[in-house]
Amino acid sequence: MTAQPQIETRGYAHPDTLVATDWVAGHLRDPNVRLVESNEDILLYEQGHIPGAVQIDWVGDLNDKIRRDYLDRRSFSDLMAKYGIGNDTTVIFYGDKNNWWATYAFWVFQLFGHTNAKVMDGGRKKWIDEKRELTKEKATYARTESKAPERADYKIRAFRDQVMAHIGTEQPLVDVRSPKEFSGELLHMEAYPQEGALRGGHIPGAKNVPWAQAVNEDGTFKSANDLRAIYEGREGLNPDQNVITYCRIGERSSHTWFVLHYLLGYPNVRNYDGSWTEWGNLVGAPIEK
Amino acid sequence: MFDRQAFIDNILDHYENPRHRGHMDDATVTLKGGNPGCGDIITAYLKVSGAEDRIEDVSFEGEGCTISQAAASILSEQIIGKTLAEVNAMDHEAFIEDLGKEVVINRLRCATLALNTVKAAQRKLEAQRSEGDSKQPTDEVLTF
Repeated sequence: MTAQPQIETRGYAHPDTLVATDWVAGHLRDPNVRLVESNEDILLYEQGHIPGAVQIDWVGDLNDKIRRDYLDRRSFSDLMAKYGIGNDTTVIFYGDKNNWWATYAFWVFQLFGHTNAKVMDGGRKKWIDEKRELTKEKATYARTESKAPERADYKIRAFRDQVMAHIGTEQPLVDVRSPKEFSGELLHMEAYPQEGALRGGHIPGAKNVPWAQAVNEDGTFKSANDLRAIYEGREGLNPDQNVITYCRIGERSSHTWFVLHYLLGYPNVRNYDGSWTEWGNLVGAPIEK
Repeated sequence: MFDRQAFIDNILDHYENPRHRGHMDDATVTLKGGNPGCGDIITAYLKVSGAEDRIEDVSFEGEGCTISQAAASILSEQIIGKTLAEVNAMDHEAFIEDLGKEVVINRLRCATLALNTVKAAQRKLEAQRSEGDSKQPTDEVLTF
């Protein structure tokens, strides 16, 4: 990895999980690097993407087609093979919405242990703001013989029974939704239609740290000192804790999971992807408002 | 018949050059619809006339992903001249085919948001008439 002073000077625990737009621009033809764009708006890719990038969609590619779950080992291996991603390929994720969906895809890749993965700091917006090259040409790659391991849900994914057991311990839950969703005034983000859960509020004891507090206006991540001021100075977290993050379906909270685990070096952070669309519909689940 | 790229080009054309876009002051019925998954919002304005409630004019406003906003534009070209009953009877599957099923298959709620929103017009107008106010806007957001 070449030096990236704009990232290395920010004091992150694992600076090698981020790459700058400059770095990406210098590796567009690197056969060992695969760029993956993941967006909420599925047709942004068609309107222009970084040359060589493939698109991985959270609905079409990462979700199980029937159950509410992620793809299995076989489907993941096939996805990797289709995009020419080998087990040694460095996968760089980027996308819209300050890398919401990019960190979500990154998180799913970690369920399968593809640790050779990074996120492009600032995402799609920063690349475009810098007036860098875009193309509408879809990249194609020769299939690889990728063999993914079984999905390891126990490491970085939390389920509702585990969350239930988490309540009342001294270990923190971080609700990364907006304050009005946290309070129960809204069931979805401001200005979004209010649907998806029958009850509003938050999981008892959760701290409310909206995910976007971790990024600067240009979409890049804040420095480690600034992040510590938020999560530790203000909210009282520390790296020795066992942290669970959640939001509405687990995509915004994957962003905070990324921040706590990779940028601040917390070893034990899990993302509860069932999140409020499960908890807020769960019969008998305790809710705080 | 369009191939996949032609469907994409058509959607992008409607997204970048939306037809019947904007506010309508004298709408007979105004409807708001939203898709929680993607955060799409649509407001549809319909001006109808005659005993059959035939659509004379339509406009849309909204925010959201490319597919949801382009679909509103495409729909606007299809429903002018139709009665509200005919709009209510429009087939989701046929509209999805018009958009390009292969392209929108993973965002069906985005693709059908505008159609679902205007399908509620007949019932809404009947409710307005029974309340004795045919031009009463509403803040209710229909979710799909």
